[in-house]
Amino acid sequence: MSIPVYMLKRVLQAIPLLFIISIMSFVMLKMAPIDPLAHLRANPAISMSAIKEEEERLGLNKPPVTQYGIWLANLVTGNLGVSVQGADVFILLMQRAGNTMLLSSLSILMTWLIAIPAGIYAAVYRGKIIDKVFGIISAIGMSMPTFLLALLLLMFALATGWFPIGGLTSQDYYDLDAFGQFLDIAHHLVIPVMVLTFVGLAGIQRQMRGNLLEVLRAEYVRTARAKGLPENVVLYRHALRNAINPLLTLFGFEFAALLSGAALTETVLAYPGLGRLTLEAVLTKDMNLVMASLMLGAVMLILGNLIADILLKVADPRISLD
Amino acid sequence: MKRAIATLAVLTVMVGCRPRPQTEQNGATDHTKPTTQQPVEGNALPSTVLAPDPGPFQGAEIKNADGTITEGLLSRGEVGKPGGTIKLSTFGGGPKTFNPWTASDVESSGFGYLMFEKLVDIDAWSGKYYGRLAKSFTVSPDNLAYTFTIRKGVKWSDGKPLTVDDVMYTFNEIIGKGYGNSSLRDVLLVRGKFPKIEKLDADTVRFTTAEPFAPLLNGLVVPIAPKHIFEPQIKKGRKDFHGFWDQNTNPSNMVVSGPFKLKRYVAAQRVELERNPNYFMVDKDGKRLPYLDRFVVQIVPEQNTQLLKFLGKELDMLDIRSVRGSDVAQLATKQQALNFSMHNLGPDDGSVFLILNMARRTNPKTKKPYVQTFKQEWFNNQKFRAAVSHAIDRQRIIDNVLKGVGTPLYTAESPAGLFANPDLKPYPQDLEYSATLLKEAGFVKKDDGKLYDSKGHLVEFSLSTNAGNTTRDGICVTITDELKKLGMKVNYQPVDFNMLIDKLETSLDWEGVVMGLSGSRIEPYNGANVWKSNGRLHMFDQRLPNDQGEVLAPDARIWEKQIDELFDKGATTLEFDKRHAIFNEFQQIVFDQQPFIYIESPLDVTAVRNTIANYKPTKFGIFYTPMGSLHNVEEIYLKQPAGQPGAE
Repeated sequence: MSIPVYMLKRVLQAIPLLFIISIMSFVMLKMAPIDPLAHLRANPAISMSAIKEEEERLGLNKPPVTQYGIWLANLVTGNLGVSVQGADVFILLMQRAGNTMLLSSLSILMTWLIAIPAGIYAAVYRGKIIDKVFGIISAIGMSMPTFLLALLLLMFALATGWFPIGGLTSQDYYDLDAFGQFLDIAHHLVIPVMVLTFVGLAGIQRQMRGNLLEVLRAEYVRTARAKGLPENVVLYRHALRNAINPLLTLFGFEFAALLSGAALTETVLAYPGLGRLTLEAVLTKDMNLVMASLMLGAVMLILGNLIADILLKVADPRISLD
Repeated sequence: MKRAIATLAVLTVMVGCRPRPQTEQNGATDHTKPTTQQPVEGNALPSTVLAPDPGPFQGAEIKNADGTITEGLLSRGEVGKPGGTIKLSTFGGGPKTFNPWTASDVESSGFGYLMFEKLVDIDAWSGKYYGRLAKSFTVSPDNLAYTFTIRKGVKWSDGKPLTVDDVMYTFNEIIGKGYGNSSLRDVLLVRGKFPKIEKLDADTVRFTTAEPFAPLLNGLVVPIAPKHIFEPQIKKGRKDFHGFWDQNTNPSNMVVSGPFKLKRYVAAQRVELERNPNYFMVDKDGKRLPYLDRFVVQIVPEQNTQLLKFLGKELDMLDIRSVRGSDVAQLATKQQALNFSMHNLGPDDGSVFLILNMARRTNPKTKKPYVQTFKQEWFNNQKFRAAVSHAIDRQRIIDNVLKGVGTPLYTAESPAGLFANPDLKPYPQDLEYSATLLKEAGFVKKDDGKLYDSKGHLVEFSLSTNAGNTTRDGICVTITDELKKLGMKVNYQPVDFNMLIDKLETSLDWEGVVMGLSGSRIEPYNGANVWKSNGRLHMFDQRLPNDQGEVLAPDARIWEKQIDELFDKGATTLEFDKRHAIFNEFQQIVFDQQPFIYIESPLDVTAVRNTIANYKPTKFGIFYTPMGSLHNVEEIYLKQPAGQPGAE
């Protein structure tokens, strides 16, 4: 099967899948005993009629099946609805999507740039001191709660004054020239990228190391070495290409994470990303917003998997797409 | 994560337990000392020193550039330097809308106060109503008609005149017809009828109610809308109104009357406001206010981050509710080094209380009682509730959980309120008295140390609060611990806020809850939603609407009916002393019956950089964030010359 046909097939398969995901998400959200208008209800200054009007406006007084129908009908026409607060969900998502994309692509880039060489290095020098150091760093990265790391780095920023404490732009951002704006954002991004890189590092570094070790034990590597090929050629031309396959699958997942955001990190660092938006929406059962976020996540995951599969095919001709 | 932080905080609370100072000693409390003035021990919290009263506002004739005269207001503060930016923050998700007439959350309403003037307001020092856009107002002898004379020559930020027509339009159309947040209309309804509003002449407007209605002025403390902007908008219908001037609005479309105007909203990061050059206030040198060029509010979703930003000088001020009790000691030590001062504004108007589900009805859907019948009997027994109240060591909660930054609370009106009943005396923890009350009510503490009711049921109930609120979490842990001494088994489990409200107001599936409510320092009738037996927030025995949407309370207890009557009387009585007597009686009933077991009221503490001048916090000059304690925001100025390349 050629790649375009394969892609078309996968896209068609995704449609019923997304439909099922949307129904499941909707049912689970509806079943949660959460009152979306709790903040109005708990405020003595809000009258009963004001709450009723909000229910009416948001369609909360309609039966769940009707609500789902309205949501689906709107979705088909490209309308994601409004959030509980009244803002257009599409605009809300767009406001945050760029910020999240910026943060996650930078962190993923940094993670891979560090993790892949570190993994290779650790595999080649297996059991040596450098491997152990990487092992310890990975263990810390895996076990450290992200919000704690974020908070610690904020305290570090406070103590040294080297970095701004949270946020994405300074308040005089709009008075700066283009280069100044670029520097300002870069300055603000250091801590969030550091947090997410450190946390993501461990998994990929360990994966790379494990894969490479396995391949290095394979018979064709022994053959290559026996042929007298230089170690660099053995390593980078023969072993690495075979060790990279599982990482391509991982890359598919990472791609899905591009837009899902990191809610805890974003909250602690006051970063204006999608994760924070989604977390707040889930806690207040903001149906349209949560549904849009979930669907976005599902689409990204399906897309990521598709990309990973195609990359696999490109990287390894033995893999068949059928 | 919130939960994780909460757990950490609880641990610190427990580790940080220090021996209690003062409290009880002899059963008869020290009646000479009202709770408000109790000194705060154990940390460097300043005692309540508020700025001296400068007396009422004076009018000022302001000459405009075009030769017209504006009848404005004269600043009461010292003359300051114009220019500069103040950097504040708001804790939470930021404003949801910049349209104060649809706003239903405190942050959005807070921005409304910064951008729009009101007809009348409450004097920050005296707590009395005075005219803002109204030059003067009179009340007719029969207390039915309120006549307001509007200041001449006041201008909107686009230069158009602000007139009686704007006032009429705001109340008759936007509020009266229930556009946006219809609560603004509902607080003005007198027996279901909206006041009649007439224009008497070019500068005078009269509000007439069907019967005397004391909370009317309070309901008129609302921003006035520009008619020339809203009239075309309202014609488009209700649905559009909600989205008008929302987060995505173009700030240049906004027309304001307040000291500041929206310049830019950066989603989830900050709101930038700029000076309104047409504002109707001048200082004693005739300089136009506000002094500040810009008012920037950063949106910070985490309180720890907010604190770090203040310590890192990214913020000029931490306003009330942003300074937590646990932060006070840490902040106090840094005042000199970081050039800021802390201010203690006294008790907040909010209260934190314990409620037990007193519902005696059956859930029509499941045909089961909302509360198990034998538990209903406990919770409906006044002696049981009183025993619980007397078993709580409020001072220990203040010391250990609030780190001294709170006041023990025993009454429905917080000590901050104008109508607090001074005769209701605090009582110390008295476990023996609690045990006696329980014995009288037929409860038996058996040899196993556990409490049983007269029918042999083990006294065991669940307790909940909203997760992530470290203060309430600590209070629940303390209460659980105290009630254990009486032999009660309390199962504490925090749940998320929106879930808790669902239980309290819809499913009624709860037994004990620790909650907080905001109050009003000025108008006790604002508690009607909570206290009337068919009230929407009558939490201790919430009655649900029937199929027709009406809330009926045929099973109201005698004292609930008494409270209903007192609230109705309080609404129609205008004379202060008589009103006070009525609301005193109401507080006495609550004090005796304990449907709300009051626990504490936090102290309002702020931390303000010393470069901020004219900062004059007062007891009554407190608004929603981001206005907060900056009731005189137009007079605030920066001591450093403006335009300094200050630390970011």
